[in-house]
Amino acid sequence: MAVRADELTVPRGRPGVVGQVRLWLDREPVLGPVLVTPALLLLVLLVAYPFVIALYFAMSNAFIGRPSEFIGFRNFIKLWDSDVFRQTFQNAFVFTGIALAFKIVLGICLALLLNETLWFKRMIRGAVLLPWVIPTALSTLGWWWMFNSLYSVVNWTGIALGIMTPPGPNWLGQAYYAMAAVITVNVWRGLPFFAITILAGLVAIPKELYEAAEADGANANARFWYITLPLLKPVLAVITLFSTIFTFSDFNIVYVLTKGGPINSTHLFATLSRQIGIDTGRLGEGAAISLYLFPLLAFVVWVQLRFVRKQVY
Amino acid sequence: MEPVSRRRFVVGTTAGLAGILAARVPPARGQQREVSYLCWNNFAPASDKKLAEIGLRFTKDTGIKLKIDHISHMGPQQAKYASEVQTQAGHDMVEMRMHFPWLYEPQLVDVGDVVAELEKKHGKAITSAYEGAHVKGVWRAVPQYHGMFVATYREDLFKKASLKVPDTWEDLYVAGKELKKMGNPVGIPISQNYDSISTASPILWSFGGMEVDKDGKTVRINSPATVQTIEWYQKVYRDCMEPEVLSWSDSSNNESIQQGKAGWIHNPVSAYIVARNRKLVSADGINHHRSLAGPQGRHETDVPRSIGIWKFSKNIEPAKEWIRYLIGKTDVYNEYIMSGDAFNLPVYANLQDHPVLKTDPKYAALKGEGVQYHTYGWPAPPSDKVQLITNTYLLPNMIAKAVTGTSTKDAIAWAENEMKKILAG
Repeated sequence: MAVRADELTVPRGRPGVVGQVRLWLDREPVLGPVLVTPALLLLVLLVAYPFVIALYFAMSNAFIGRPSEFIGFRNFIKLWDSDVFRQTFQNAFVFTGIALAFKIVLGICLALLLNETLWFKRMIRGAVLLPWVIPTALSTLGWWWMFNSLYSVVNWTGIALGIMTPPGPNWLGQAYYAMAAVITVNVWRGLPFFAITILAGLVAIPKELYEAAEADGANANARFWYITLPLLKPVLAVITLFSTIFTFSDFNIVYVLTKGGPINSTHLFATLSRQIGIDTGRLGEGAAISLYLFPLLAFVVWVQLRFVRKQVY
Repeated sequence: MEPVSRRRFVVGTTAGLAGILAARVPPARGQQREVSYLCWNNFAPASDKKLAEIGLRFTKDTGIKLKIDHISHMGPQQAKYASEVQTQAGHDMVEMRMHFPWLYEPQLVDVGDVVAELEKKHGKAITSAYEGAHVKGVWRAVPQYHGMFVATYREDLFKKASLKVPDTWEDLYVAGKELKKMGNPVGIPISQNYDSISTASPILWSFGGMEVDKDGKTVRINSPATVQTIEWYQKVYRDCMEPEVLSWSDSSNNESIQQGKAGWIHNPVSAYIVARNRKLVSADGINHHRSLAGPQGRHETDVPRSIGIWKFSKNIEPAKEWIRYLIGKTDVYNEYIMSGDAFNLPVYANLQDHPVLKTDPKYAALKGEGVQYHTYGWPAPPSDKVQLITNTYLLPNMIAKAVTGTSTKDAIAWAENEMKKILAG
């Protein structure tokens, strides 16, 4: 007599706890959330919670150690009344715009150079990363020493070479020079990130494309504009996105070099936010300063991510 | 001893544990009295070592365990205090700089009882210590010591050029012109740092000016005295200083005189102490004189320090015991002050002519300092709005604008406008 498989009675014991958990985890609707939960918890605790608190502070009259009240957008409106804040707003765009432009152009140049066959290639690639690896506060202290009016090695060298008249530029005491100084340090520090990421993009471009272009008579210039640059666009978009956010929110460089001076000409949102929020205890206003550009940056992120998706798919 | 049954043991320990948890107070036998104290890295490092030594003796004498932590004074200190207050956790006591007791007022314990004992013993607290720690009629911190702003100058250069040691800000202009010609300019920072305010404030006061009136509500920066102050700065910047002062940090004036460049600076004695201890060539030539006077008298600013106790502390009494031990015991306080090498000076009237001033002939001129000590923003009380005026560097920035091309009228109007907006906010 034929017996159907499902009619077979298999003696089964009740599975143990481990077995039950295993069975439970075998179900995809359970396993997925279990795997995602730790990361989600971290995000909630380390990103979402502080962000929500910052949002609340920005919309309150929070003062260190005192009870606070919700005041809506009053902090954001009041800030615009302050000359120091308007100056900071302008500084942030000048600083980010110029620093980004330099980092993109110099980053591409450096990546192209590193992509060539060089002696000690690995060592050079490693060395290029140094400015990015050294703690910013420490390296900026080095730059502070180089721009310092008393010890400036930059001015000493310039004067010794006859390209500067004594005492040389007042790097940290004159508005334009001070902005140039903080931008220089930001570019110096951010360049390795651009160069190495672009280099990764360059390495991924198939060599056949260059060979075909060369066979068609394209010179180096044409190969760069019609092959390299278009294929680097997704990489460039991503690093520009990251760098825009990091540069807008820079703190260490300005705090160590100029403390926002002279006459607030180098203040950025982060340094002004600290000055008002921590040094003066006005947590609400400090949070509002740091979140002022959030809507704009969120929009930039959205546009750039859309662009990246279009490029990839 | 009667044996304890298992049942009795379980019942007894459970009840005891429940009692401790409910009361949140450990039994007397288990209580280790302990107190923690957060203070800054003192500019006179020997003072920190002495503090640790005194702390060990305190523990030995009282049985209270003392934990002392140090933190850098500018920057991290404020962030740390803010986080302790926001989380209601951290140290029991903190060292407070200048007007911090005003900033953290609602979080600080009333220490009037301790201050009353100390004043009875050492005399009244000096004016700046009072202004900084006595908040709205209540002592929110105990005055501990202060560092005074004096004139530090190159005596050797003054003698070489037969220059008169200045007594007024006008005298300084006369001497400063010669110093600049000698390649040793005057070094007064006009930048976004506290030293800039520490000099600009006494100059403004000695010309009869102020930022905000003593009611704390009326802006008074637009006055003939401010015009005189700015005009003084303009001519000193032009004839006695170099543009580098616009970029200086708090330490730049110290370094300038230590490295043999500046001929005169306005600073606590730390510039000399460092030069002497590091055996710099400039040390022998450096000396001090009193801070300068103006048409409306001599006003000085200094850096009073005090010890505050957080309200969230569970060890308020042991904390007060430590303060009484450190400042209230005259021999201990003297020992502590002596270790500070004239950088940390007593803040009580009867101790002003302190033996530490006799430890080096170059401190002789400091005797009698402190006629009119004030904290930033005086005569206005250092409320949070006045502190915002200070912390956004409106005074030095107004001067910086005026010495770099903005008209005096416009520079003052700018400062007045910003101050009014802050006070109205």
